[in-house]
Amino acid sequence: MRLENVAFRYRRRDPWVLKDVTLSLTPGGITEVTGRNGAGKSTLLRLIAGLRHPHRGTIEGRPRRVGYAPERFPVDQPFTVGSYLRHMAAIRRVPSRAIGPWAERLAFQHLLDVRLPELSKGSAQKVGLAQALLADPALLILDEPFAGLDATTRDALPALITELTTRGTTVVVSDHQRCIEALPDVTRLHVADATVTPLTPTSPNTRVLEVIVREDEIDTVETKLRADGYDVRRPDR
Amino acid sequence: MIALARFQMAGYVRSLRVLHPLLAVLLIVGLVLLQGPSGPDASDLAVGTLGDTPAFMFPIWAWAARALLDTQPDEQRALSATAARHRSTPTVAGLLAAYTVNLALGAIALIVPLLQAVSVKAPGKAIATGCALCLLVALAATLLGAWTSRAIIPDPGVSLLALLAGAAALLLLGLGRLSWLAVPMIEWLRAAHHGPNAFVSDFPAVALHLLAWSTIVGTAYFIKTRTNR
Repeated sequence: MRLENVAFRYRRRDPWVLKDVTLSLTPGGITEVTGRNGAGKSTLLRLIAGLRHPHRGTIEGRPRRVGYAPERFPVDQPFTVGSYLRHMAAIRRVPSRAIGPWAERLAFQHLLDVRLPELSKGSAQKVGLAQALLADPALLILDEPFAGLDATTRDALPALITELTTRGTTVVVSDHQRCIEALPDVTRLHVADATVTPLTPTSPNTRVLEVIVREDEIDTVETKLRADGYDVRRPDR
Repeated sequence: MIALARFQMAGYVRSLRVLHPLLAVLLIVGLVLLQGPSGPDASDLAVGTLGDTPAFMFPIWAWAARALLDTQPDEQRALSATAARHRSTPTVAGLLAAYTVNLALGAIALIVPLLQAVSVKAPGKAIATGCALCLLVALAATLLGAWTSRAIIPDPGVSLLALLAGAAALLLLGLGRLSWLAVPMIEWLRAAHHGPNAFVSDFPAVALHLLAWSTIVGTAYFIKTRTNR
């Protein structure tokens, strides 16, 4: 799948959210999108998913089976988890029996009879993930998938992503929670100033800056730096 | 497409939004349509009521279509769009769901006028014409409602004003030289109240007008939803 000179803005006279974006997504690859809040990460993900259409440029080679898990799953709907997922399975033309394994794997099988508005943030996030995974997507787009998840599911998700990529699924993920940083061969894209820049160890315009922080502040500082769009690594991880 | 339409209808019914137009329909049936025709012109009056019913229902159908299409939260609309395999599926499914609900509302509104028309032995052709007219007017009203849904007009206040203004404009346009732009409500009401023969004989022209109107407005709606960024 390839984006060629893609430009996007929400209205005709608005500033460009993204401009001259050219990038390729390799089948079976994992791409992490970083950038500060409001930089245009979610817009880029929506363009890749086909939910937005570029004003300029082209997007080619998008697979037909696309799974998209939004940053905030829309719980304001009059369905139970089970009936909602059965509807989504029917729309995706997969049998309802596909729901059970994902409910078990993401540990929400006890919530199938709970109404969507009654779900906690983390449980809603799991339902959002499940509906994206139902139809064995060839392209999986996850917008902050780890936000609000319990520790067990958060730890299990990177392995699940790896498993999907070995089956050929292309995964694009924005992740402030640094949950996929341990995965090998992750392509990193940085969104800033309406442009998308690949972040690679050999990138000529990047340098390594060591920051010394107190042990109890390390998570806070790392989260802040990631929120500002920096690529952060810990030596011991 | 059927599954997505079913999902949208289920959301509309379960959220109880369907009660608003349903109560309006029951109110019209109770206050207006229950007053059955009587006297020597009972048959003519019953046919006139068959013409009145789609005129009463037009704004309710448009309102119900808008409400149904707005039931899905925006983010769910995105999830449904990725779940559907074709780009046009959500648009077609939304219209199908809205039209189906409108047909059900129309059936409820038509029960009493139909029973009255049968009881006073109104001509079968005029009764069939009344039913066919409802099918076509429901389609036109569904499209008007779709044009004022959140996907096209995001501001709820503006979209409600657009719905009211659109329904009023389509009626008023029928009074002047631009009547070819309007939904031909004046024409079918006039024909229905001129008796069963006029109602049946004028129906092809009214039907052609409604079909042409719906085709143009529906095509423009498809183009608009496809070019939405």
